[in-house]
Amino acid sequence: MNLAKSNTETIRKQTDKGRRSFMWKVGAGMSAVLAAAVPAVAKPVFGGDKKSKMSVNDLSKQVAILESEKSIRNLHKAYENSLDKGMYSEVLDMFTHDAEVIFNGGLFKGNRGVERLFRGHFSTGQTGRRIDQAPGFEPDSEQHRERLEISPDGRTARARFTYSIQVGEPIDSDSVLVKMARLQGEGVRKWWEGGMYELSYVKDAGEGTWKIKRLEYRTLARADYKPGRSYAKPISVNSFSKVYPQNPAGPDRLISQA
Amino acid sequence: MNIPMHRFKYTKLTKKQIAIALKVTENGPKCASEFSDVLKGKSLKIVTQDGPVLEYAFKDKSKLTLSENGGKKIKAGYGALTLDQIVFFSHMIVEDQRGYNVYIDQDTNLVTVIEVGLSTKRQEPPPIGGTDPIVVDDREVQRQIYFGYIEMKGEAPPEELHHLTNRIEGKGMYWKQDTGHEILEYYASVANTNFVDLTRQADDLSYVSPSDYVLVNDNTFIHQKTECEFSGIFTSFVADLFTCTQVGVRLGFNEKDELEYYMFRGNGEVVGQIAYLEPFSEHGRNGMVIQAPGDPEVPGKWQRMTYRPAMTFKYMSDEEVHEAAVKSTTAFGGRIDAPQMGGNNNMPFSDILVGKKFTLRYDKGGPVRHYEIIDKYNLKYMEEGEGKWHEETYRCYEADEKLAWFAHILTDSKPRASAMVALDLTNGLTTCIHSHMGTKYYGNETTYYALFGVAEMEGVKAPWYVRHEFTDELVGHAYSWTYSDQMTSMHIYASPHSMSWTIFTEDQTMGAQWCSPCIYVKLRDGIYIFCQNEEACNGAEMCELINTKISHNCGFNFSGNDKGVNLGLTGAIARHIGQYDIRKYFGPKIRKGV
Repeated sequence: MNLAKSNTETIRKQTDKGRRSFMWKVGAGMSAVLAAAVPAVAKPVFGGDKKSKMSVNDLSKQVAILESEKSIRNLHKAYENSLDKGMYSEVLDMFTHDAEVIFNGGLFKGNRGVERLFRGHFSTGQTGRRIDQAPGFEPDSEQHRERLEISPDGRTARARFTYSIQVGEPIDSDSVLVKMARLQGEGVRKWWEGGMYELSYVKDAGEGTWKIKRLEYRTLARADYKPGRSYAKPISVNSFSKVYPQNPAGPDRLISQA
Repeated sequence: MNIPMHRFKYTKLTKKQIAIALKVTENGPKCASEFSDVLKGKSLKIVTQDGPVLEYAFKDKSKLTLSENGGKKIKAGYGALTLDQIVFFSHMIVEDQRGYNVYIDQDTNLVTVIEVGLSTKRQEPPPIGGTDPIVVDDREVQRQIYFGYIEMKGEAPPEELHHLTNRIEGKGMYWKQDTGHEILEYYASVANTNFVDLTRQADDLSYVSPSDYVLVNDNTFIHQKTECEFSGIFTSFVADLFTCTQVGVRLGFNEKDELEYYMFRGNGEVVGQIAYLEPFSEHGRNGMVIQAPGDPEVPGKWQRMTYRPAMTFKYMSDEEVHEAAVKSTTAFGGRIDAPQMGGNNNMPFSDILVGKKFTLRYDKGGPVRHYEIIDKYNLKYMEEGEGKWHEETYRCYEADEKLAWFAHILTDSKPRASAMVALDLTNGLTTCIHSHMGTKYYGNETTYYALFGVAEMEGVKAPWYVRHEFTDELVGHAYSWTYSDQMTSMHIYASPHSMSWTIFTEDQTMGAQWCSPCIYVKLRDGIYIFCQNEEACNGAEMCELINTKISHNCGFNFSGNDKGVNLGLTGAIARHIGQYDIRKYFGPKIRKGV
């Protein structure tokens, strides 16, 4: 749990650093924007005076931000839903061609790296299915704080969302039991991971759609937990130790974990 | 036959050979019992969910015409039998090497249709580590199940159809059919049947075949099994559990490549019910299917989950295995703290033998070995008359009070061999499971046998006549063995010489299943050695000492492949899942024409 605390502090520092240049929209804050926008629409803003014109501009920006936020949240929801259903190929189009994903001490770069991670590593481990927090590992509210910011020019965005997922890796064995388990889609060592996604997005100028430019799984806790159990205990998991192609589903580069 | 099915080399019949043999099915199946004329003169339109519409006209009790999906009329011979309100009829469409087996519930007008096909060229995904898809043999009968109803003019389609079920899971049945054939079937998986052909096979070994279970009502179910990996024969029946009666059909080519296509009646009894462990709200309505890559249909026609160990087991010669053994023979991972596959729930190692010196004498010219136990992990042993000590690493458990169970490699043995020894320090009785690489079928299979004898050691006076002995006390029992939180297997001790194991799915439904010959040795009340070799599967031996008092086992694995020979550790905690009352069916008996 110390790991969780130190990660939270890291997150806070990053948040402060980026506050000047980005407009943060956080939970209740988003409701406040909506509340402010609705009365503004009710006013006679098309009357022609200068003050009203500025209001229209402001309102347009606010609406654009809200639309971007909605699109990004929908994109993130689609990403999570695809992983939850094991449809790993579906997430590939959600990334830019030069995207980077950091997962478990490995950096996966570009189309090929991202494909290797999701179709190779995630699919064989059945990683990404949403499960409840492991009992005893519930994060505090600070850890759970989600953030989404859109750049002033509306072309890039950054976000932080929580995750609570099943992660797994195939059991490496010649055992008959493992082979049979694989036959029925199992033979995977599974555990629970909770943490934060750190995300960067860009808006495709041509299509006008948002794509993931960078995704980092910032793990706060791991436990040997499956839904239905009444207890969980923390576990340690080996980070990636080999890069591609030594590990056919491995990362392009190893990175040290915070 | 007296060749075990997993050792028999079934002919790869061609589509043409099958076509010629199927010609006789134009006249319908045979039956030792009288066929029913209940369908004579009737016409039926059967509508199935996600399947064909079948329009039947029955001319008499042996001839019908069929139109599939409004297509051309096909003439076929058929046979029909009734069981209570169920009418079951079977026929083939010879030119297509297909056929239909149709179960009609006259009370509800609900229908289960099992289409069968030969020479389908069905593909399955490549085995683990392989790249080429598996193409099933033409002789293996494929099946596709459709649920439907008889269309009645002016009546709306029923809301509920027959469906797959787990209500039969865990039940065991004995059947005797009007052919004289007797069989024990354990329905311990929703996707397989573990069975002992009591009259067809000389060895009372149990085998496993992929299966389906369909619920008709609380006392009636439809069963299907296909002997994949063996002859490929298909058997299906409907059974009434109130009366323990069945009517069914058998279709396929036997070991003599003779076509069997006959219907049967049978009577039986429930031999037991073992527990099934999935959530109470899970009713097993979804089948277990493996989709072949590139199959346009989801799930593809004929697809099912089929474990094919014999088809995918790679042959190695004795010399190849020994060459690998010379390069690498490993005991217990090569170091004290080495992680052991399947060993998370093992029992602790014991120092019960440390400092002891003893001689183990095995009967009937068996080995005589002198031992000096150096410490918890190392021993010295010498064969009688050898005059030279060998130092080997070993592991020992105290598997029951003052009962040592240890194992080590036999130094420089060719073929590579190991000794797994139970030594009762209270009475001096000992059993050695001697294991070595190689059978007459595969160099990478293990051979094992039990040696009984006594110990000479300080403070112990061994008996002259009493010995550990083979036993059938475990036969019929089922235990789940949890090796780790990731791996649990249920063992059914299915006959005096064989067992099956079943893998649980994530929600603890019993799924993939396979079987092997085995031996059981009684050491004390409730304490047994259980030893099996995964023959024609991966050739690995597992030898466990089962202590039913603490629901725990501990033991050893012995295996060899291109990476070398390995003596490993295994151990698991157990739940007693239940028992079949089957011992009365086994033992030497008069046999005719096996």
